Amino acid sequence: MTPSEKLYAKLKEQRLNFFVSVPCQLLKELINLLENDSEVIYTPVTREEEGIGILAGAFLAGKRPAIVMQNSGIGNCINAICSLLNYYRIPIVFIISYRGTKGEAIDAQKPMGNATKPLLQDANVKFYEISALEELDLIDKGISEDYAQDKSVAFLFPFSFWK
Amino acid sequence: MRRFEAIQKIMETVTDEIVVCNLGHPSRELFVIKDRQKNFYMLGSMGLASSIGLGLAMSVEKRVIVIEGDGSVLMNLGTLTTIRANQPKNFILIIVDNEAYGSTGFQITFTSKGINLDKISKACNIHKTILITKEAGIKDVMEKILKSNDGPYCVVIKTEKGLPDNIPIIPYDSITIKDRFMRSI
Repeated sequence: MTPSEKLYAKLKEQRLNFFVSVPCQLLKELINLLENDSEVIYTPVTREEEGIGILAGAFLAGKRPAIVMQNSGIGNCINAICSLLNYYRIPIVFIISYRGTKGEAIDAQKPMGNATKPLLQDANVKFYEISALEELDLIDKGISEDYAQDKSVAFLFPFSFWK
Repeated sequence: MRRFEAIQKIMETVTDEIVVCNLGHPSRELFVIKDRQKNFYMLGSMGLASSIGLGLAMSVEKRVIVIEGDGSVLMNLGTLTTIRANQPKNFILIIVDNEAYGSTGFQITFTSKGINLDKISKACNIHKTILITKEAGIKDVMEKILKSNDGPYCVVIKTEKGLPDNIPIIPYDSITIKDRFMRSI
């Protein structure tokens, strides 16, 4: 199985069933798997904050929602995280490709790479960095400890995970 | 007709539908007009009421009505494309267009400069887009829509500016709003 397939299997095992995405080269295979999965509701969105709005609605309706996005998109959704997710204690799962970090070829990704963890911390979203396949079980930990208490939780996947 | 009267007319037709309402005065006006457990008052995250409603409509069978404003839809115009792409039949977006940011002192929005949200909606191929300019039109349109299940609909209601006096702040905290809403649907 590829890293994307293993990640996908883990998300399914955790019974996540409503996904939105904003693409990243690293997420291509995962998004393709979600697109072709008739057991989950999936839609692309135009912007990360829009996605968070949609997932908040899905959670209110009893779904277990997740967004698949690049870390640069954190900058597009801070208010939605704070004033919608945190304020109403609506939990979602963030699956984030962690660009601008070791192995990055595109210089313009670096500023948001540097800002990602401080932004998540300031927004009071617990995050786990998953650098290798063996660390995928951190998803179980994050979901049982954070998500289960109505807190959103983020998982960051740097280049090393996708190799 | 101000927004208040428009929301009054809308709520006269609503029975057991889910209602998601934009932040600021619209939610406070809805609270005064017809508070109910199936109202989700979005108190922060301007621009996202239509998105929250879309997520609900994609998850449940029940009809979902979203009461939006012109300023907030302009902040999240991509929502119209996502609504169209997913086409939930049970989704009804109502944009009360007073051509201003009413909750912050009636600064103008671009709908006062020749931008027509109904035309933008139609350009997004939301074929069931309806423009209402008279208060008397609201009831008929809403009753017809609520009998059908062939959305998504986008209803743009043009109103005057202005707020009624003494509209209270919603007394519930966010968790109460969420919990009673989730229990009711």
